[in-house]
Amino acid sequence: MLNTVIIFGFFAVFLRLIDLMIFNHKLLSEKGQQQYLKAEEIQSRRGIIFDRMGRELALNVEMESLYCEPDIINRDSESIKKLAFAIEKEPKEVFAKIPRNGKFVWIERKLEPSLSDKIKRLNIKGTGFMNEAKRVYPKGRLASHILGFVGIDNQALEGIELQYDKYLRAKGGKVFLDRDAGGRILSSGIEKEVKGNNIILTIDEGLQGIIEKEIDKAMLKWRASAASVIMMDPFTGEILALANRPSFDPNTAGRYRDFEKKNRSITDLYEPGSTFKIIVGVGALEEKIVRPDTIFDVSKGGIEVGGKVIRDVHKHGVLTFKEVIQKSSNVGSIMIGLKLGKDKIYKYAKLLGIGEKTHIDLPGEVSGWIHPPERWSATSLGAIPIGQEVAVTPLQILRAYSAIANGGFLVRPHVVSEIISPEGEVIYSFNKMEERYVISQSTAETFREILKSVVWEGGTGRCASVDGNEVAGKTGTAQMIDPITKRYSKQKYVSSFVGFVPADNPRLALIVVIYEPKGQIYGGVVAAPIFRDIADQSLSYLNIPREDDTGETLLVVSR
Amino acid sequence: MKDLQLYNTNPYDKLLLLSTLALIAFGALMIYSSTSVITPAHGRKGITEFFYFKRHLFTILIGFGFMYITYRVRPIYFKKIAIPFLVFSFILLILVFLPGIGVSSGGAKRWIRLWPSTLQPSELVKLSMVIFLARYLSDSDYKTDTFMSFIKPVLVMLIFQVVIIKQPDFGAAMSLVFLTFSMLFLSGTRIRYLLSLTLLALPVLYKLMMEPYRLRRIVSFLDPWKDSQNSGFQLVQSFIAFGSGGISGVGIGGSKQKLSYLPESHTDFIFSIVGEEFGFIGVSIVLILFLLILIRGISIANRAKDMFIHYLAMGLSLMISLQALINFAVATGMVPTKGLPLPFISYGGSSLLVNMAAVGILLNISRRRDEEEPLYKQRLIARRKARRIIETRKQGSNE
Repeated sequence: MLNTVIIFGFFAVFLRLIDLMIFNHKLLSEKGQQQYLKAEEIQSRRGIIFDRMGRELALNVEMESLYCEPDIINRDSESIKKLAFAIEKEPKEVFAKIPRNGKFVWIERKLEPSLSDKIKRLNIKGTGFMNEAKRVYPKGRLASHILGFVGIDNQALEGIELQYDKYLRAKGGKVFLDRDAGGRILSSGIEKEVKGNNIILTIDEGLQGIIEKEIDKAMLKWRASAASVIMMDPFTGEILALANRPSFDPNTAGRYRDFEKKNRSITDLYEPGSTFKIIVGVGALEEKIVRPDTIFDVSKGGIEVGGKVIRDVHKHGVLTFKEVIQKSSNVGSIMIGLKLGKDKIYKYAKLLGIGEKTHIDLPGEVSGWIHPPERWSATSLGAIPIGQEVAVTPLQILRAYSAIANGGFLVRPHVVSEIISPEGEVIYSFNKMEERYVISQSTAETFREILKSVVWEGGTGRCASVDGNEVAGKTGTAQMIDPITKRYSKQKYVSSFVGFVPADNPRLALIVVIYEPKGQIYGGVVAAPIFRDIADQSLSYLNIPREDDTGETLLVVSR
Repeated sequence: MKDLQLYNTNPYDKLLLLSTLALIAFGALMIYSSTSVITPAHGRKGITEFFYFKRHLFTILIGFGFMYITYRVRPIYFKKIAIPFLVFSFILLILVFLPGIGVSSGGAKRWIRLWPSTLQPSELVKLSMVIFLARYLSDSDYKTDTFMSFIKPVLVMLIFQVVIIKQPDFGAAMSLVFLTFSMLFLSGTRIRYLLSLTLLALPVLYKLMMEPYRLRRIVSFLDPWKDSQNSGFQLVQSFIAFGSGGISGVGIGGSKQKLSYLPESHTDFIFSIVGEEFGFIGVSIVLILFLLILIRGISIANRAKDMFIHYLAMGLSLMISLQALINFAVATGMVPTKGLPLPFISYGGSSLLVNMAAVGILLNISRRRDEEEPLYKQRLIARRKARRIIETRKQGSNE
């Protein structure tokens, strides 16, 4: 009887083992793999992130981490108190970290050298130090939204760090400790140091510095709630600089709140307002419905669409197509839109990448939206041509303008140009996708001329004009939708300016978006000067020659 | 001359010896595998790759010495030393608390200093208890149907329990209870005695269980994944070890769980590392080897004609197999976590020596044919006959 019970017991163990080892084999071994990976990551040296000129934007420094061995440590309050005092913490807090028994537990990670020296002098039995690589971003807030950040175990959490984690992360490295006769640790090291791959960005630290400085100035000047600036090469899609406000310091990312850490230039949507007028403009030119000198009578100062009257800010008389864009006439734009029709507006919006992800190599990009024509309401035709009822990211708008700058194709924005192995081998390099022409070269050229006139006398973007080089661009002012009432806010606006420079040989495409500026609301007043300041400094930084002596510029001046 | 004639008539049980040797050899291999990697987990001075392995081999050597001695002496001799041995082991058990002699580790005082190593008296207690019970149960004064006969050995056990729990060593306490009750059960004592005592123990057990840390241990046993970082950690790590092993294992030395993930990977949880490195095939072989020891032990016991020898052989086989079974059940999360070494395989000298000595006694018994007079089978038959008569009488009177 007893024997049967015991043999039955063995049988039960046997069944349990079948369950654990055969039925749950996959699940459990995966769990194991996960924890080994995590432990290994602690020891890895992530790859370095460079800007396009080889300047370090993210690197590693060796720091010491304090651990203790609960089985060995004296759990009396005296030594714990000393320890807590040394790391400037409450004894209770430290005590809570040390379990009753165990072999290894972290007490404080990545300590300042002065602190770790202090603790070493205390010579507390059962504690020790281990070298760990701490991720450091030497330039602080600079380009923080691109770089992203890592957690305490160097696990990727945002930005390039996250997007390219599998390249940056290094696997391997077990921990080995040598001890002397007294049980103290003599040395600690990594069995085999493994380094991650290095990344070269398209970002230029110099240009990034310029936009960071200017965006800070703008935030202060306009007491804005947020801002985004993106600078891109309009031919290649290389992001040269990208900054948002609010921002954060990736070295201490844990102290910032989520809205400070998000890269709103690709994760947040806004209504583009007048910058969107190029969609109907380009569409109308492409469909040969209008010519630059086609006349639009906007003298009424308003137009009724679906029972709703849309007005211009200033009354204009009779405008040519070119002037509609130059002066950013809402009425004129809606008239063009009515001529073009829903389907064509939608077609050109889609062609220029509105409501679609740009597939930039950064995490968290949203697509935005523009409703298909069948879902348009009666008033939509009065809203969409002037950039309402659509939601875009600043990067989408910049890409659409780049198509005008580069003669008609959509670029693929990207921030990583090359990934290089620790041995110096190029293991990834951005290959230019085939150029997808979305509009004809002649339309692009014609429109470029029109955008140039925006910064001329009589245009809305006069403040954006740069000494010595011609600018092509467009202002935008859009009401924000009040999150509470779900209606357009009377106080909250998004002011923007987007364009490229030098207009005839574009080197930089730039968008400036200022959220909720105080005092002034118009893109031409708020965003255009920022555009000018950034463009001006960037052109001289890049040594782009002035074009003062060209006849056309003189012509501009004479006008 | 008489001795030779009487005792050396049968060959010893080869299957029992082979199973034991296989387990010992496998154990040495596992000790090397689970301790040769020096990680922060093995935080003691002067520890090299071979530190644990060498010590273990040395213990095995001494173990063979013990095995030989217990194999040679006449089994009836154990009957003579039963009481002194019990007292001796009790004294050793108390010495644990003596400063200078006792050694404490991790908050428990379970060892006494014995140059060059330490001794864990609670392991010795198991052996002395088996011998004592074998003598007590085979004594002609022992009555299966009187409560006094039942309660005496239980009280002896309780005295030991008090000391063992004070150490504290709940693993040893638990296996001692199982062992004592199993042997009492084998002797044919009334089930209701056992049950009533168990019922009496329930409130005590309840009180013990309600202690926060033990409660946590029990809760974590029910769902270790819930708190896999703290109370459920060891069990979860054990599961991962088994699961990673799969059918054929990751190969010898390939265990990752032993790299400071699974606590006690070379002692109480070595079975999990066996599972990880040798897979389902490996653990099945270990399981079968222990079953073989049990089956051979029972068969040896049943062949014995002397009641003392019978109970002794039964007790020793149970001592080994019950402990192995509890260890398996703990490692696979079938019963709450309790530190208990796996016989022959876990690192730990006292357990290995005691179990090897036990096998020595079993082998010793296996080669003897005719022992001293009282015949176990006759007594068993007589007892059954008596019961039947009593029952028929009862029925008769009822009618």
